[in-house]
Amino acid sequence: MSLIVDSITKRFGDVVALDDASFSVEPGRIFGLLGANGAGKTTSMRIVLDILRPDAGTVTWQGTPNTDLPRRTWGYLPEERGLYPRMEVGEQLRFFASLYGVSDADARREIGEWLDRFRIPDYLGRRVEELSKGNQQKIQFLAAILHDPDVLIMDEPFTGLDPVNVRLLKEAFLEMKARGKTLIFSTHQMETVEELCETIAIVDQGRVVVSGTVRDVKRAMNRQVVRLATDGDDNGAAWLAELPGVEVTADRQDFLELRVPADQDPELILRRALERGDRVTRFEISDPSLEEVFVEHVGRRAVSEDEEHLAATSAGAGR
Amino acid sequence: MRDVFPNALHVARREYLFRVRGRAFKVTTALLAIAIVAITLVPTILGALGVADPPHIAVANEAGDIQPDPILTLQAALIAGADPGAAIDGETPDELPADERPRVTPTDDPDAAADAVRAGDLDGVLVISRDAEGELGFEYITSAGPTSQTRALVQAAASSIAIADRLEREGVTPAQQQAVFATIPFEVTAADPSDARDPEDFAGGFILAYAVVILTFMAILTYGNWVAQSVAEEKSGRVMELLITAATPRQLLTGKVLGAGAAGLTQYVVIIAALVIGLVASGPAADALGASGDLPFSLPTIGPVTIVTFAAFFLLGFLLYATLYAAAGSMVSRIEDVQQAVGPLIFLAMGGYFAAFTGLNDPDAGWVQALSVVPFFSPYLMPARMLLTSPSAAEIGLAIALLVAAVVGAIWLASRIYSAGVLMYGQRVGLRTILRAARVAR
Repeated sequence: MSLIVDSITKRFGDVVALDDASFSVEPGRIFGLLGANGAGKTTSMRIVLDILRPDAGTVTWQGTPNTDLPRRTWGYLPEERGLYPRMEVGEQLRFFASLYGVSDADARREIGEWLDRFRIPDYLGRRVEELSKGNQQKIQFLAAILHDPDVLIMDEPFTGLDPVNVRLLKEAFLEMKARGKTLIFSTHQMETVEELCETIAIVDQGRVVVSGTVRDVKRAMNRQVVRLATDGDDNGAAWLAELPGVEVTADRQDFLELRVPADQDPELILRRALERGDRVTRFEISDPSLEEVFVEHVGRRAVSEDEEHLAATSAGAGR
Repeated sequence: MRDVFPNALHVARREYLFRVRGRAFKVTTALLAIAIVAITLVPTILGALGVADPPHIAVANEAGDIQPDPILTLQAALIAGADPGAAIDGETPDELPADERPRVTPTDDPDAAADAVRAGDLDGVLVISRDAEGELGFEYITSAGPTSQTRALVQAAASSIAIADRLEREGVTPAQQQAVFATIPFEVTAADPSDARDPEDFAGGFILAYAVVILTFMAILTYGNWVAQSVAEEKSGRVMELLITAATPRQLLTGKVLGAGAAGLTQYVVIIAALVIGLVASGPAADALGASGDLPFSLPTIGPVTIVTFAAFFLLGFLLYATLYAAAGSMVSRIEDVQQAVGPLIFLAMGGYFAAFTGLNDPDAGWVQALSVVPFFSPYLMPARMLLTSPSAAEIGLAIALLVAAVVGAIWLASRIYSAGVLMYGQRVGLRTILRAARVAR
């Protein structure tokens, strides 16, 4: 039984934030929610968390509607980070844990363990405002997981982190996955999605344009990517263009990137190159990158970000 | 809807500790306590200073024979002025201890006496003369200003000396004069014996009623504002999204109001303790300074039932306003906008305050009786009426019942506004937008 978001629609005034959006997440998986600013990612998360009610549609987790689930089912890391700046780290985390019904003793033990893991054990008595951005983010993460939620929902968790902290947070993600938790996060960083996510959904203008396993989503593009490098004297573009359906998408310093329709055998390119007597130094067949998939689905639309931001704030929906 | 407790208590506990640990709270409370002790002790200290130096006045009689002796008349007037109670109670001047008794001495040399006034040895010289028609004239030489109490007493005494002298010259004998000016028996009987109040008791009730109204008003404005401020801070600091995920709006709202209210109550307890300390200390302080430590009025005796009723009105009134303050705080995105959002509530609170002040002068007026059961006004008006007149138990019960209903309604409304408002960020969130969002809120 999984998390099922079924035909959710949400309007803020005249703005349609979500339009009949559906996706599902298998338990124990890491799920990526991708979309441009204002696409409806935060609104979807808030609706799953039941802090916002949809105009239509339902959300169920393991068969139970989210309106009937205890709050401790969920852990949430909001995009806009927020903690009490003048409260001490330990006291603050115990407060949030207490709201989820965690006993003080359990909370103290968990906090101690996690601060050790994050290599900041002596921050227990520090005020949050004295901490660096990265360390505040770690505390924010702890506030989301101390009550041991089944589903962890994180809105842009990697934004504003240096590479070391990104690494620590990814390790924490995998630790949570190893404990059998379900993780849902949104991000703009496609490499992170490729690295962590098993399933994704791409949201655009309130609609889920594609969802499923990363492999299926890529295959659904109906094409393959070929990277080719030869020692031929010309740049090779001319003879490649003669091949039916093949398109040169990038002409890099040391290789060409080609787009090949799914119904065509990419090895034809290799054969043709060898026939020409060129020495092939690189030949690689792969699925399109997630970035390509994303741009294909979302990026062609030329919408000013300011316009979207304005629409989102005037609707009072955040992003 | 999930249970309000225990999460509301967790929220309240955090709010309370955060408030009372803050430097602003400690400083304000300490300053208020010091100010209250000082204010309660000042009258005693001033009284002690005044009594320690009773007035000494010289009389230069250049008018010949005056009946009765102007020195005695003046002395009686000064004694009556120094201790108004003595005259009412019919005490004789001799009962004042010698060192507190005003002194009036005759002199033959007004110029020398005037020098003594300038040197500070005398408070004043009263020179009495008689003109060609036989009319008395008075000249008072003093360093005291126009507001001096002694100066006013001397003038009043001069007036009665002159009147007695005129009557004397008209042939009215002192015995006849005494008969004319004898005290008239005047008795007031209350129509309803239960309304019979000692005049000093009534003055005390009046002062207490003012105090109750002012304390209620201050609590609503100050601590209500804490609530709105604190909600807006959580919203602008974005902790709100975390809170609203962990707890329901009703839990957050209730906890916030209870926590800020408890912190406010702590401050009030300190202030009232300071007041009690001040009043208790003013007795020994007065003894030490050699003054009378009596208050100029006596506080009415208040039974435990009345105190519980007052507490109920105070707490329910605070809950009603503070809950709506929380809703107002949830509607703004920036802390600077809080004042604007709570504007209508301040207006309402001030309406009740001014209605109570006007109503105190005529506590039995129909509109005062009617308003004293209306939720937003009853926390001010009903306790005031209870101190000044005798509202029926049914009226008090109705006022409490309506107030409880209003609090329940306010919590319901406020938690809907709250759950819709806390996720709305924008330049200005109108009430209409909020209410539309509140209809679908959880």
